Amino acid sequence: MKYELPLKPPNIRALRFYLDMTMIAQILFPTFMFLIFLILPLASVLYVATQYNPLEVISDPMYVSFIPHGELIEIKTRLLFRGREITLIKLKGLSFGVILNSLICASIVTICASIIGIVVAFIMARYDFPGKTFFKILATVPLLMTPFINAFVIKKLFDWRDGLISWFICDVLGIPIRIGVTEIAGVIVAQIMTFFPIIYLNVFSSMINIDPSLEEQAENLGARGFHLFRTVTLPLSLPGLAAGAAIVFIFSLEDVAAPIVFNEKRFMSYQILSKFIEATTGRLSPVAATMAVILLVLALTAFAGIKKYVTLRQYAMLSRGGRWSVRVRRPRIKGLIAIYLCLLPLFILAFPQIGVFIYAFCEKWTGPLPEGFTVDHVAKIVIDPLVSRAIINSLTYSLVALLLIVLMGISASYVIARARLSGIELLDLLVTSPIALPGLVIAVGYFYFFTSVFKGTPLDPITSGPSLLLILAYSIRRLPFTARAIFAGLQQVHVALEEASLNLGASRLRTIRSIVIPLIGLNVVSGALISFVYCMSEVSTSITLGGLGGLSELHQAPITLIMMDYLSRVEGPYVVASLGVLLMSIQLTVITLTNVILKQRYAYIGV
Amino acid sequence: MTRVSLKGVTKRFGKVVAVDNVSLQVEHGELFTLLGPSGCGKTTTLRVIAGFELPDEGKVFFDDEEVTFKKPYERGCAMVFQNYALWPHMSVFDNVAYGLKLKGLSNEEIKRRVKEVLRLVGLEGLENRSPLQLSGGQQQRVALARALVVEPKVLLLDEPLSNLDAKLRLRMREEVKKLQKELKITTIYVTHDQEEAMSLSDRIAVMDRGKVLQIGPPMEVYMHPKNLFVATFIGRSTLLKGIIKKIEKDRATVSVSENLELVGRFTRGIKLEKGEEAVAIMRPEDFFLNGSASSNVIEGSVELTMFLGPFTQLRVKVDSQVIKAYVDPDMGIKSGTRIRLYIRPENVIIFPLTGWEAKSWAEIEWEI
Repeated sequence: MKYELPLKPPNIRALRFYLDMTMIAQILFPTFMFLIFLILPLASVLYVATQYNPLEVISDPMYVSFIPHGELIEIKTRLLFRGREITLIKLKGLSFGVILNSLICASIVTICASIIGIVVAFIMARYDFPGKTFFKILATVPLLMTPFINAFVIKKLFDWRDGLISWFICDVLGIPIRIGVTEIAGVIVAQIMTFFPIIYLNVFSSMINIDPSLEEQAENLGARGFHLFRTVTLPLSLPGLAAGAAIVFIFSLEDVAAPIVFNEKRFMSYQILSKFIEATTGRLSPVAATMAVILLVLALTAFAGIKKYVTLRQYAMLSRGGRWSVRVRRPRIKGLIAIYLCLLPLFILAFPQIGVFIYAFCEKWTGPLPEGFTVDHVAKIVIDPLVSRAIINSLTYSLVALLLIVLMGISASYVIARARLSGIELLDLLVTSPIALPGLVIAVGYFYFFTSVFKGTPLDPITSGPSLLLILAYSIRRLPFTARAIFAGLQQVHVALEEASLNLGASRLRTIRSIVIPLIGLNVVSGALISFVYCMSEVSTSITLGGLGGLSELHQAPITLIMMDYLSRVEGPYVVASLGVLLMSIQLTVITLTNVILKQRYAYIGV
Repeated sequence: MTRVSLKGVTKRFGKVVAVDNVSLQVEHGELFTLLGPSGCGKTTTLRVIAGFELPDEGKVFFDDEEVTFKKPYERGCAMVFQNYALWPHMSVFDNVAYGLKLKGLSNEEIKRRVKEVLRLVGLEGLENRSPLQLSGGQQQRVALARALVVEPKVLLLDEPLSNLDAKLRLRMREEVKKLQKELKITTIYVTHDQEEAMSLSDRIAVMDRGKVLQIGPPMEVYMHPKNLFVATFIGRSTLLKGIIKKIEKDRATVSVSENLELVGRFTRGIKLEKGEEAVAIMRPEDFFLNGSASSNVIEGSVELTMFLGPFTQLRVKVDSQVIKAYVDPDMGIKSGTRIRLYIRPENVIIFPLTGWEAKSWAEIEWEI
């Protein structure tokens, strides 16, 4: 018989019977935190947005224009460049106004990233070929998060003057053509390259989790080749694809790195950010609220659209462990050539991370190729007081946030898994919701809410600096990863183990302390590690709220704000690259640790 | 020692009534068994007593104190779980000592009592093992020791032997009974195994679909089942459908078919009228071979024989009916032989066909 049935407590006495003080506290604590640090800020965004007529924004051709501006492709023939006559092909992209640009760009990025992701995932999941391990590592390299400098390197790759690609075509191969990707097209290309691994990894995990007998059955009935892929493999991978696509769509919408690097202001994310730069005065333009609401609506629509395939809770953690020996095929020569051709772009896709590494350690990289070797740039992150302070800030914020995350994660997950209370799913929805909420929207909400309701308190970012708010923003935004890991652990712990303890006279708190936590300890640790990585590399609230205190000697800014700021400084990109290397090292350490501790790999999603 | 009483306890899970108006009283030091098929509500009843479930209606008393709304940790009863629920991150010693530590006893006292209880269950010297290193039977003993060591008011056992292999189960059954008699703890035992229930219990409550159908000592439940369900669930039996033909005092004759009439007795408190539909129940061990009596002789051909050790089970075809009977294996009866079986009238129990609202005929016949 099943005892975990959710049941409606018929009366107060039943409620008191099933919920002891510990569990009530476990419900109230995360609920209270989410009320103050998520729901009310979001409500204030909506409130501010309703104070102004949205039509004013929408009817402004700067925001929505059905007549495209600019050129999709600019071709200049017989251009004299460095003493040679060349043809210049410049991919630029059309602009339809800020709002439509964001939407169109996010859609193109999602579709292109999906196609690349599916192809790579399919080859990796279904074929065995020489060099597979190498390509597998290559395919996961782009997963390492290096905010800002990533897009910077991509821009450099596609630069028509000193870019590696044009250099290779024109100077190495001698073909008098130079290719450049700039403006909106540049943003799109940078985002595809940055976000495709999210799709790849989610689809890959879906594919290796497909029961091989399902494909065998289809083959047995005569399906093969592309037909088999289209009718069986792809539909069964849809949950992974849907999950990845929704995330990519949202990340693209709120990405600020690529627009900043390509100096492309015609995106919603850039508009919100630029309003924040003026906000040190204590006033944030209501346009930010309007943009934030549109972002929020788009993000929620994306998630609602794929609800059929995947539930919110599956996002925070998609297990990569296949339970069965996966079907792999060994292709013949023709197939092998096709596979290598398909995987060749991986070199370009993995280039940014490799580029960041080279950038950090080279003396100079102004031309097409890097020159010299030095550790001076890396040393700067310790020597430069602004940078080293940012590192200490980020570490402090992340660790304090982690404390809150673990507390909230254990509390919420425990009651979600154990409390026999109808409506407890709402708490589940609440603590996983940050996955679907663009960080920029949260940042805007924090600004409005805490500069007005909490004016003059330590939570007011204008008077007291952003430290406290950043800690809270991190703990809310990065909670889902830990909460899901703990929840998964709790599902492995039989309820009887806790009942045996209660039965022998231990209170709920004592039972949690001496039975539950020791049993789910590894889950807590691995979830916390993942949350830590995401805290350290958090971008959206860090570069908005984080900048409100300014960059004085005793600044409160985190790493990512410094990365954004230093990007435009002389010699700055080298420091940013060094910080990128630092972040990559932290991520690699955590990936290794979680693999060793839990013997299970997590699909890393999110930036 | 504690007396446990349930008064009108009802527990629903959504629309399913798991426990339906159950009232019972377990006396001081008694070993009381809740017996029934899976899903009959016996475990839920136990969990209501332990405090893991709150009844929708009714009350639970330990002696004269109402405990219905008390939390599990306030009740002072100890439970042995079906899967033992040993904590894998603690040693055997820590598992057993857990309840004592909660009581705030001194370390010496804890050590002494853990040692004592481990000796009692025959696990001396295994204190430092991890539960994962133990066999099923040893784990079972640890679970038992963990419950016994706190000297609970009430000991609750939820199918404690069901995960053990057949041989071990029999041995543990004896040990549980011995321990319970030694310690004289009021014990409530849940099982679906009727043999286990009969061999262990002072009294049995037979449950089906949330209701208690009969409470009594094993012998009484076996000999005088109150209704068809109890009669078929306890022991093995053959059921024959017929019509009451004649009634004399407490004896009645049931006409099963043209050639077969059976004289039997009504179960306690039930009387049927002539012409009513009835069911005659016979246990396979009550048949005699080659009976020469004038009545209650059943003639048929042996369809199938199964050697079960102490006896051979025969499937005897009588007209369109099938009867199961145990006979001495030495008789060497083979399939195909025609035989005559005799059964004493006091071993044929007659029940009304109607009035037993629960199961369809198909289900009952399938179970035997």
